[in-house]
Amino acid sequence: MKEIKLKVNHKDYHVAIEEDMRLLDLLRNRLNLTGTKEGCGEGECGACTVIMDGITVNSCMVMAFQAENREIFTIEGLEKGGRLDPIQQAFLDEGAVQCGFCTPGMVLSAKALLDKNPKPTREEIREGISGNLCRCTGYNKIVDAIEKASEYRKEE
Amino acid sequence: MKLHVVGQNNMRVDAAAKVTGKALYPEDVSLEGMFIGKTLRSHKPHACITIDTSRAEAMEGVVKVLTYKDVPHNHYGVLMKDHEVFCSEKVRRIGDPIAFVVAVDEEVASKALAKIKVEYRELKAVFDPEVAMHQDAPKLHGESNIVYHYKLRQGDIEKGLEESAVVVENTYVTPMVDHVFLQPEAGVAHMEKDTIVVTTATQYPHFDQLEIAEALEVEKEKVKVINAAVGGAFGGREDITLQIHLALATKLTGKPVKAVYSREESFIAHAKRHAMVMTYKTGADEEGKLKAMEARIIGDTGAYASWAINIMRKAGVHATGPYEIPNVKVDSYAVYTNNPFGGAMRGFGATQPPIAHEQQMDMLAEALNIDPISIRLTNAFKIGSKTATGQILKDSVPLRQCIEAVAEKLGFSVVSRGV
Amino acid sequence: MKKRGKGIGSIFYGTGYGNGFPDVSRSVAVLRKDGKVKIYTGATEVGQGSKTVLSQIAAETLGISIEDVIFICEDTSITPDAGTAAASRQTYNTGNAIKKSCEELKRKIIDVTVKASGADAWEEINLRDVALNHKGQILKGEGEFIAETTEMKDETGQGNPYWPYTFNVYGVEVEVDTTNGVVEVIKAVCAQDVGRAINPKLIEGQMDGGFAMGLSYALFEDLNIKNGEIKHNKLTNYLIPTAMDVPDLEKIIVEDPEATGPYGAKGIGEPVMIGVAPAILNAIYDAIGVRITELPATPNKILLALKKKREVAL
Repeated sequence: MKEIKLKVNHKDYHVAIEEDMRLLDLLRNRLNLTGTKEGCGEGECGACTVIMDGITVNSCMVMAFQAENREIFTIEGLEKGGRLDPIQQAFLDEGAVQCGFCTPGMVLSAKALLDKNPKPTREEIREGISGNLCRCTGYNKIVDAIEKASEYRKEE
Repeated sequence: MKLHVVGQNNMRVDAAAKVTGKALYPEDVSLEGMFIGKTLRSHKPHACITIDTSRAEAMEGVVKVLTYKDVPHNHYGVLMKDHEVFCSEKVRRIGDPIAFVVAVDEEVASKALAKIKVEYRELKAVFDPEVAMHQDAPKLHGESNIVYHYKLRQGDIEKGLEESAVVVENTYVTPMVDHVFLQPEAGVAHMEKDTIVVTTATQYPHFDQLEIAEALEVEKEKVKVINAAVGGAFGGREDITLQIHLALATKLTGKPVKAVYSREESFIAHAKRHAMVMTYKTGADEEGKLKAMEARIIGDTGAYASWAINIMRKAGVHATGPYEIPNVKVDSYAVYTNNPFGGAMRGFGATQPPIAHEQQMDMLAEALNIDPISIRLTNAFKIGSKTATGQILKDSVPLRQCIEAVAEKLGFSVVSRGV
Repeated sequence: MKKRGKGIGSIFYGTGYGNGFPDVSRSVAVLRKDGKVKIYTGATEVGQGSKTVLSQIAAETLGISIEDVIFICEDTSITPDAGTAAASRQTYNTGNAIKKSCEELKRKIIDVTVKASGADAWEEINLRDVALNHKGQILKGEGEFIAETTEMKDETGQGNPYWPYTFNVYGVEVEVDTTNGVVEVIKAVCAQDVGRAINPKLIEGQMDGGFAMGLSYALFEDLNIKNGEIKHNKLTNYLIPTAMDVPDLEKIIVEDPEATGPYGAKGIGEPVMIGVAPAILNAIYDAIGVRITELPATPNKILLALKKKREVAL
């Protein structure tokens, strides 16, 4: 057992963790943030993507202790004052959601991409989400949604 | 007809919950005081087994180890009921469930799995469906490995082939593949007074309810299935996986029990698309008009039948492709082997034959010096067409429109002959 | 050398259970106290969008907006059995059951309203007022739909196993690198018969998804089963496409309403993937002159086939 400090979705936490605990388990089981999903447990599918200090990570491949003093964003931290993030809105508007299991990770990868590159080309978008697998949508409407989100963010 | 909602791009009613992470999939559900369940599975493709769970049961933190002895009615399956909830005497594939450990947490459950002793007395196994069809092959269930044979006969195949200017022949092979729905199987079961409640992700909750009730020998009304958000299915959630295990565990312990499969366990737990070997002979006259088609399709359904009968029937019915052919002979078979079991997957037996019939069409076209579009248009189903099963297509047959639209968009050169 | 080729795949697909198997969907429509309508049915939302499409059918039938439809499908103890979310059957089968339940609810509402107030046109009826005026009374409609299917003859396979049939055609252009055997799909078109499009955007989503799955079936997926053991049992070795592997798909929705479908609609969930693999295989032949007869068409198989072709030519 070890005590760590971290910030998740703007909130400070002090939590006791086990040495072999993954960040994914910390988020899901300790902090009850179940929006982060586990699809493979080996960093291939991206369903567990979260943003750590501005960079996307597969939370199944990061140990909980590695998150000490870090700032994490999960899907639950995207809404502002009850309003959807423009990326979430674009996913709705473009029909980019089907079963929804890849969606949280996909939205966070999109956020990390757009934070770095506000107006990506379709190819850059495809590359930006290439670590996130989706079995339902064939990705095309997700690419549409991220293009649309780029426009929404410009308007804001 | 003036329509006001039909035809509109209404936003998905379930999407807002999904983009915010609020949608609850079964693994997101946790109940106070719940136990964790883990499955012990066969490592051998074909073997007689004896099981000793005593060392696992003696472990601290292990609540119960379920085996076939705990199941009132140890059979289930979408059609044939050839699965056992837990194998009693024999395993028929790698991955067959043998026991289910119920423990206070995941760590204890995993350790307990390793303490269960299974003695395997290996039996001769068969992995090639064509070999499995022989009378002297090792049998999976009963007297023959041939689960089903569909025969389709129309016209006179010999005459049709004789009348053809060109006949092309080939054999096409497709492998077993997986659905890879992104959310691996998961579920939580609990008791609501004397009703067993199973929260899971399934394609058909009412059928799961029936199968759980039959296996546990309780009234159907005493089982409730709650379908949480389903993370994709594609046919892979047709057959039961963990539902009966969880229901039995909660009934016997009185406490909530949860199980979540890893991706590796998901691969081994659910059905696969049938591997098929398809041998085709197709003949056409000089104008490219199809005269005859003969096909033999062998489907590997692995260790259990699941939907094999319906799937291989569907393969047979769709073997011609969407074309009028006066003389047709199709034999399709579903065959047991010691491979992973075949079941429903998007297309359900109609996905494999086009690998064959569409290449046959192009081969005929090439031999006759006709382009691929024209030969399809010459033979395409239209309103009033008779299928190989003798069915008259009476309405909504826009195949020609579809072919023409694709040809135009892709800029196919159409060297029309006989259209 | 990179070589390009085009190919087409054309298919038909019989929806529903087939072969005379009882194919039944049920729905119950209930007027809620606030004038909204609850639909109870066992049809599962697996991601395909059935909850939305079926809500649209209910809204259309009752002349209300989709926001006024409360769709309940998650609990076996309160929903009627609507069959499985498979066989591309929910839009057609359960769609028909929902339409019937809503039509019955509509008749009942007209009955009580005409008796009470003399209003006779549906458009003049305010559901909130009806609910308020008939508080003690449960106004509900039940709908059951049974698909048309007959059992085929044992010896000849003759009969009418499915209805309706849905049609799908794919055309693709591929680029094959003859030095390493890699096949890239560079252009793709799908024409999908839908009967009637209930929600075009959701249909497009199915087409995109079916295309990716079909492409993957043709080029990538292999469980590598050896002596009954799945060797590719992780996402590190069982490959499915990433966003980099799937090109944009040009989608053509072909409407030709089916008389027995709800507002003319047919099922499309499976047909959308079936034509892909044969189109790719035909395009590979067009590009490099070899027939790949065993899936998946991996670089290794392409190179072997090319080698064999050269040997034959010598």
